Amino acid sequence: MDNLIVVALSVLTSVAILILISLGLAVIFGLMRIVNMAHGEFVMIGAFTVITLVRHGGVPIWVAIALAPVVSALLGMVVEVLLIRPLYERRLVDTLLVTFGLSLILFQLAVDIFGTTSPGIETPLGAMRVGSYSVSVYSAIVLPIAALAVMAGLYTIFTRTKYGLLARATAQNPHMASALGVYARRVNLITFALGCALAGLSGGLVAPIVAVSPSLGQSYVAQAFMTVVTGGPAFMMGTVAASMLLGSVANIVSQVLTTLWGITALLITAMVLIRLLPQGLSGSWRRRF
Amino acid sequence: MNNDVAKAYKVSSVAPTLQLGVRGAWMARLSRRGLIWAPLLMVLAIAAAPQLSAAVQLKWVLWLSFGIVALSLDLVWGKAGIFSFGQNALFGIGAYAYAVTALNVFPITQETGSALIVAAVTAALVAALLGYAMFYGRVGDVYLAIVTLAVTLVLYTIMSSTAGPEYQIGEAQLGGFNGMPSLPSISLGWPGAEGNAEFGTGALFNFAVCLAGLLYVGVRFLVSGRFGAILAGLRENETRMELLGYDTRLYKLIAFVLGGAIAGLGGGLFAAWGTFVNPSLFGLSQAALVVIWVMVGGRGTLGGAFLGVVLVQWMSDEANNILNGQTPLILGAVLILVVLVFPGGLAPVLQKLARLAQSVLPRSLAVSLGFAGDPRTSQMVLSGLPAGASGLAAGRAGHFTVHEIAKNFGGLSVLRGVTLDFDGPRIHAVIGANGAGKSTLFGVLTGRLAASAGHVELDGADVTRQPPFRRARLGLGIKLQVPSIFMGLTVRENLELAIHASRVSTPSEHMLRVLDATRLNTRMDTIVSTLSHGEHQWLEIIMVLAQNPSVILLDEPAAGMTQDERNQTVQLVHELAKDHTVVVVEHDMAFIRALEAPVAMLHLGKVFRVGSFDEISSDPEVIDVYLGRHHAARR
Repeated sequence: MDNLIVVALSVLTSVAILILISLGLAVIFGLMRIVNMAHGEFVMIGAFTVITLVRHGGVPIWVAIALAPVVSALLGMVVEVLLIRPLYERRLVDTLLVTFGLSLILFQLAVDIFGTTSPGIETPLGAMRVGSYSVSVYSAIVLPIAALAVMAGLYTIFTRTKYGLLARATAQNPHMASALGVYARRVNLITFALGCALAGLSGGLVAPIVAVSPSLGQSYVAQAFMTVVTGGPAFMMGTVAASMLLGSVANIVSQVLTTLWGITALLITAMVLIRLLPQGLSGSWRRRF
Repeated sequence: MNNDVAKAYKVSSVAPTLQLGVRGAWMARLSRRGLIWAPLLMVLAIAAAPQLSAAVQLKWVLWLSFGIVALSLDLVWGKAGIFSFGQNALFGIGAYAYAVTALNVFPITQETGSALIVAAVTAALVAALLGYAMFYGRVGDVYLAIVTLAVTLVLYTIMSSTAGPEYQIGEAQLGGFNGMPSLPSISLGWPGAEGNAEFGTGALFNFAVCLAGLLYVGVRFLVSGRFGAILAGLRENETRMELLGYDTRLYKLIAFVLGGAIAGLGGGLFAAWGTFVNPSLFGLSQAALVVIWVMVGGRGTLGGAFLGVVLVQWMSDEANNILNGQTPLILGAVLILVVLVFPGGLAPVLQKLARLAQSVLPRSLAVSLGFAGDPRTSQMVLSGLPAGASGLAAGRAGHFTVHEIAKNFGGLSVLRGVTLDFDGPRIHAVIGANGAGKSTLFGVLTGRLAASAGHVELDGADVTRQPPFRRARLGLGIKLQVPSIFMGLTVRENLELAIHASRVSTPSEHMLRVLDATRLNTRMDTIVSTLSHGEHQWLEIIMVLAQNPSVILLDEPAAGMTQDERNQTVQLVHELAKDHTVVVVEHDMAFIRALEAPVAMLHLGKVFRVGSFDEISSDPEVIDVYLGRHHAARR
């Protein structure tokens, strides 16, 4: 029984992390049709923000986590203006290549600044006991709550704010939206910054429980990409659904076998799903976010 | 067979323009097919080899192995239009396959040629699996990039975690993050024969030159022929290719698997060069590198793949001397710079220079050097036209029926039992107000949409479950509302693709007549995107005719046309109906009246009335439907 609870909590953590990591990518892809190849590096930047603030600035960890998305969003805005904006009218592959170049640059800069390994920070809140097992409160409780909070926040933004409506309208029909007076540039700038903020936040949230290194982003980004692809056109809820499925599969398989098999299982599940449902999990949903 | 075709084309005034591509003779053709420059360079390189130091030779072996994988990406991306991040993964798989096989086989047979073959086959198999899932699952272009990248990264994780002793294949330890050291180099010879020995540096260099050269020539030869024309069609307009009867999924898969085999060979050469492999082959920067090489060299130029490798590797070596260990930084900057400033790569810039040189060189020399004319236009000599016994095929009519067709989308039923019968060389019109189910019916007729119930028959064969390309092969010609043609290709290339697609027929007299009538025959070498809207519509109709279909489906052929163009289109449709069964789906009543054809009217997903135009248009109920009174009253 205790065993089952521990497994369930572990699955919950995996799913929460996958949701957090994938949503930023999904927002930018779903609303702007841009594949942000530097997504993993924005996650990494969020994590390093937290590490640096906590270790060298003596900032309380919760404040540091709250600042992580601010840093990555600001950087995201600069990137949008300098690299993405000139390519609006060009092929999709171009933005993909440019952000790929950016990811290589950010990675190397992180290596130059922080080195290839970095001392971690302590996981806050300690552990709780489940029968004879000990489980991290932060992983089992805080991360899932954070994932729920982010989902609720995004839902509110996209259904209750003027920006949310404009962003969804621009995504569905950019020319019509422009004709109605939507300033697409500003909407895109906010969307890109929002996606980067989500990436930074997820990096900040996982920083206390993983070894933070410049390759942190790369280790998550493949899973995030697969999740977004399997999620399909409803970029938000589709991604959440895909996270639940893929996160559970990967976690359970890696508990039964090894981490290696967990990742393999995630990949295979995603490929099979794409073969069966080319439009993704949310392909037949009416809702498009 | 050329004679027949030439004769065929003299029927029309097309003949003079069609001869264009033949000029430049056999030298230009050989050059175009990659048979002059590459062999020349190979001979030069091998002749020069003794003068090069071992270090330089080894560097070139590495660059050639990179060049081979870049070539494979240029085939897949530049030629077939499939953007894949997975090419370096296939390269890595080739390298690992070579390593595992060589470690197991070499101690016994003293040769590694078999390992090289295994490398190519393994990479091709992985490409086939991946490609099957993606192309037959109809994964879109961006998704495809993401999926291939994710596969690459996952392979990186997997290969990095194979450190334990349990990860052993025969004699070979996979070795996790450290990879597999001390591999045998290339050694060719009959397995187990006396005198088999690993190549020294000089022999390895010669081998690499030959391998790269042969692969380049092979790919060049392939893409400058009919297969290349099909790939160009895929790249430009997949929908039209499918409507022409090409199984686009299959052709994409073939290109991808070929690319996989080539990348695998490159990987094998790489493993033999360094006598080690490790998981960094699957890393992000390696994935980026392959794309950067192709981008820098110039996408779709094939030779540019090698040029890109040399430029980028030379530059990053130099940069590494100044800024040690900053390679990713430099690569990233190069990638961004190329995309923003030189999106076409450097090969086109060099080609421009070559053209400048051409204007200085005497004409005959320029031809023999392969600079004469745009290779894409001279490529399309109509020599490949399939020729039948008589050279020209007579038009034919067919029989197309739908029986009790229903179509539901989720809970919404759009078609509710439609039965229609189209036959004979004549026009049939299907009309209906917006929302009556016209577009859905057209989708079911073409095979884009699968009917929920009922069946569709074409010339007696049940095609209810057949995808569009199969129906096209059975004699269904489809013209979509928005012209679906290959905008980036010339009129000639468009027609070539259409003619090649028809497996049973030859260019029909009919098609040539229409080509004449529309005067498109005078613009055979014009890039289609520069033609007018009306010309696009006509070109598409000619392409449909080129397949010599028995039944022709036209979706709103008059949409977006001026009165004048509409009148011409009416004449064209009448012309088509002399030989073929023509089905026109339309809501423009004036156009339908001018067609003077039997009309079937759809309403609320059913056939509401059938009759002549006058009968239908004077029917008070039909007027009600069109004005909406009837519909409103029923609510």
